[in-house]
Amino acid sequence: MINEAVKYYSLNELWKNIKKLSPKRRYIAGGSDIVISHHYDDLNTDLLVDISDIKELNIVKETSDSVFIGAAVKISEFKKNNIIKRYIPALYECVDYYASPSVRNIATLGGNLVNSSPCADGVLALVASGARVVRNLYGKQKLSDIFDVIIGPKKTSLKKDELIEGFIVPKWEHRAVFLKMMPRKIFGISKAGLCVCANLKGNLFKDIRISASSVGPAVIDCKKTSRFLTDKDITNDIINKAKDIISCEISPIDDHRSTADYRREITAVFLQRAIEKFVV
Amino acid sequence: MKKSNIKHYKISCQVNGNKFTGYIDPNLRLIDFLRDVLNLKGTKEGCGEGECGACMVLVNGVSVNSCLVMAFSVDGKSIITIEGVDDIKYGKSLKEGFKRKAAVQCGFCTPGFIISASELLEKNPDATEEDIKKALSGNICRCTGYKKIIEAVEWARKNDK
Ligand SMILES: Cc1cc2nc3c(=O)[nH]c(=O)nc-3n(C[C@H](O)[C@H](O)[C@H](O)COP(=O)(O)OP(=O)(O)OC[C@H]3O[C@@H](n4cnc5c(N)ncnc54)[C@H](O)[C@@H]3O)c2cc1C
Ligand code: FES
Ligand code: FES
Repeated sequence: MINEAVKYYSLNELWKNIKKLSPKRRYIAGGSDIVISHHYDDLNTDLLVDISDIKELNIVKETSDSVFIGAAVKISEFKKNNIIKRYIPALYECVDYYASPSVRNIATLGGNLVNSSPCADGVLALVASGARVVRNLYGKQKLSDIFDVIIGPKKTSLKKDELIEGFIVPKWEHRAVFLKMMPRKIFGISKAGLCVCANLKGNLFKDIRISASSVGPAVIDCKKTSRFLTDKDITNDIINKAKDIISCEISPIDDHRSTADYRREITAVFLQRAIEKFVV
Repeated sequence: MKKSNIKHYKISCQVNGNKFTGYIDPNLRLIDFLRDVLNLKGTKEGCGEGECGACMVLVNGVSVNSCLVMAFSVDGKSIITIEGVDDIKYGKSLKEGFKRKAAVQCGFCTPGFIISASELLEKNPDATEEDIKKALSGNICRCTGYKKIIEAVEWARKNDK
């Protein structure tokens, strides 16, 4: 049961007031995760702090070498924003796979990270893009690795009141391929997902980052597979070896949506499809 | 009797062009506010989990599932429900299209489809069948089937005055 809700429009206003609120306070951005829990009375909070219209969390801006995306920017915005389209193609590509058009108008990237689901599509795209997280506690900013924030399924290292302010993504010359296998009958949650961001020169991957979802306790940064493919001439033999490496790098399980074996297989097939998309 | 600790939240918003200002229970979702406070029963609750689209409304011109949104969060915003679609672009022709193409059986899903379709046509008056399918991908109909619904949207696209 919620006893109170408050809504702030700037970080200044938030930090000025938050400590006076009930100790069981909790942030709400879009609400696409939290409202369902609330409806089933499964939310251990009595006060919601609405951060969805805080102006600093709603901006996308670029500097000479990076792009900042505010944590409350909606998923649907990635398709409309030219800076994102140009510099963070993985986020642009993930939109069509993300839930439904109306859920994309609600859901935010910050909420997607904090929900820290192994199937989080936004996180999958951010990891392959090389993003870092801007955290903010009472006005003090801190830059952190995504995997310093996510520490397990549905678990983060965020302190009480600590806010995800946004993400900083380096500008680097690359293209992105985003692939997601969903159950036939419901949209949203994947059986397996893969994102590859890479810069191909001739037949060589100069820079490549690969991430995988729904095949471990959290989204996985497939560093071994990425390292293996860097500076390699793409041949069938190399692709097959990379498929073996990624199969060992992930740790899928059997659950009601799929089996571990199927997930391993489809992740390897996705890697092959992604590489072929780059090479063509 | 135990005294309630609930502090009501003051919101001001426009619903179908009418101004609402008042104090609401912070536990209400947008769908509860529309149906139970404003008595706008056209917005339906199917799954209550963002999957079916029966609860779709427009908030500041974009479609949202009103079962996933808290009512207090629409403070300062403008909401259109099925009761208000006559006043938005393509609203009347969509209603007419659904009638002409017999795209309605039980009708439970229809308000949601019309809201999603109105957002699409407003943004993309040249929407193709593929665009329509994508835009309606968050709406589920369990009795009519989708062919007639797509035809209804195409009819509205061609015949809007
Ligand atoms: C029908 C449906 C389909 C879905 N499909 C997908 C899908 O295809 N892919 C996918 O990845 N996800 C999907 N989701 C999950 C969900 O939409 C996402 O995780 C979404 O990005 C969450 O964002 P939100 O703003 O709505 O989160 P909220 O519900 O507002 O918040 C989620 C959590 O994050 C915290 N939080 C939010 N913002 C911040 C912040 N800036 N700083 C600190 N804490 C914060 C909240 O306190 C809460 O604990 C789906 C959900 C539904 C209901
Ligand atoms: S009732 Fe909201 S999507 Fe089904
Ligand atoms: S007409 Fe009955 S659910 Fe669509």
